[in-house]
Amino acid sequence: MTREEVFATLNGVFQDVFDDESITVGEGTTADDIEDWDSLEHINLIAAVEQEFGIKFSMGQVVTMKNVGEMADIIMSQIKD
Amino acid sequence: MPATFTSFYFLCFYACILLIYYLIPAKTQWFFLLSASIGYYMLTGNGILILYPIAASAIAYGAIRIMAGTQDGKRRKRALCVSLVLLIGTLVVLKYINFGVHTVNGIASLCGAQGAVWKGFQFLVPLGISFYTFSILGYIVDVYNQIAAPQMNFLKLSLYGMYFPSVLSGPILRYREDGEQFFRPHPFDYRQVTFGLQRMVWGFFKILVISERMNLVVNTVYDNYTQYPGSYIWIATVCYAFQLYTNFSGSMDIVLGMSQTFGIHLPENFETPFFSRNISEYWRRWHITLGVWMKEYVFYPLLRTDAFQKLGKKLRGRFGKKKGKQLTTFLAMFLLWFAVGVWHGGDWKFVIGSGLLHWFYIVSGELADPFFKKMMERLSIDPKSRWLDAFRILRTFFLANIGFVFFRASSAPDAFRMLKAGVSVWNPEVLFNGSLFTLGLDVIEAVIAIVSLLILLTVSLLQQKGAVRERIEKKKLPIRFMIWYALLFYTILLGYYGPGYSAAEFIYQGF
Repeated sequence: MTREEVFATLNGVFQDVFDDESITVGEGTTADDIEDWDSLEHINLIAAVEQEFGIKFSMGQVVTMKNVGEMADIIMSQIKD
Repeated sequence: MPATFTSFYFLCFYACILLIYYLIPAKTQWFFLLSASIGYYMLTGNGILILYPIAASAIAYGAIRIMAGTQDGKRRKRALCVSLVLLIGTLVVLKYINFGVHTVNGIASLCGAQGAVWKGFQFLVPLGISFYTFSILGYIVDVYNQIAAPQMNFLKLSLYGMYFPSVLSGPILRYREDGEQFFRPHPFDYRQVTFGLQRMVWGFFKILVISERMNLVVNTVYDNYTQYPGSYIWIATVCYAFQLYTNFSGSMDIVLGMSQTFGIHLPENFETPFFSRNISEYWRRWHITLGVWMKEYVFYPLLRTDAFQKLGKKLRGRFGKKKGKQLTTFLAMFLLWFAVGVWHGGDWKFVIGSGLLHWFYIVSGELADPFFKKMMERLSIDPKSRWLDAFRILRTFFLANIGFVFFRASSAPDAFRMLKAGVSVWNPEVLFNGSLFTLGLDVIEAVIAIVSLLILLTVSLLQQKGAVRERIEKKKLPIRFMIWYALLFYTILLGYYGPGYSAAEFIYQGF
């Protein structure tokens, strides 16, 4: 899977979780850019991403990832493994 | 020496520490801070109780050394579990065992039992146990999750656990963000030291001028609420909201300011919480470090347990994707808020007032949200209107005040009785006939309190537009001096010191 494909899939997941089809995420997208992305939705988002890509984030990654770019990095590294 | 930062002896102690801190070689500053922290802890209470924070640091040190020295997952997990059991076990035994005993006795008495079924325990509880335990617990978990560097020096780890400005009342620290700066050399920086001192003065203003005055009204009504029903209860509760806020946030101003004078930057614990538009936002702005801790070390791990994942799957299958997800979250939030309540103290008044009541607010808010959105659409109300925001702020403040009734009342049943007395007696006339001046503040004292609250409000509004100290810094020298000296003398002259001068105890210190 290329990085572009990862982002394309992430767009779908974000749109589904936040129930908003206008969402498009990029490398620097953070919780501040999406209105409903609070600490409650963060964990639901994580679960949805894990399910979509068939991966598992560690607890450390869940609390330290700063933006969608970092999320994509982790996804890419786990897919390669 | 009294533990409170507003005591004269503490200020002398702090002045000596600050002076020596910048006279000794910068490389030894961290060790000096550790010595000062041990000295402070031993001088402010029962000296022998220092063994508790030392033991907590030793447990953390042992676990961290084991985790750092092996890649064996099972061994790492064992070290994590043993240290968590020991630290949480100590906290539970010292602070919460009587909560269980009293609850059992309460249930037994409801069932008709005569007298206590179980006897309570008497323990000497070390000061600040909830704060330092949480800072240390979080660090161990972070090392286990490999997101914090293991500290292999026991003395350095002890400083992180026992750092004297924050050991008694927080903020709860996160080693991965706040830890390493303790050990770096901090050469004298005039700007940092003056900024820190300015913030301390602001903290003293909040505590001595506002909080202590509010305390008089609150005590009069809450200690005799049967004589002061109706409006008195609401007035006293609003006073308590300001008392608690100025006391706790003022103590944080002193802690953060004092740390800044040492060149150490601690996390903020408050962000003008009474401007919040809903309860979720309120908890992102009130006692921020506790909220972040609970989210990272309780809420997220709980939702990621196998049990919750399975439950979530079941509920989604039964109630649909959206509702199922919501129900799972609500259940985890119930446990989270129960933990937040219990953290405040082993009593149902805390469990309700600082925990479950807020869970109820958030859950009802979430459930009612679609209805309110539709209603606003039908009534053509702009959801971003300023008036609506003002209404939301007032509503959130009111809801928080209901929680404060529990927090301040002597027990949960008393809180219910006070709420009943607050709504069952209609006496708005006391707001206008001078009766309020009999509650502990005469006309002059009340005017000082109101003017001081207006100063607080003005500064809080200015804070929404950026850091106030930096804005003052840009003003010309005479204006700068005038502002800070005016605040200093206002605090010295109008501070309410109470009998014996060290009356200003920090409310949160007990936790």
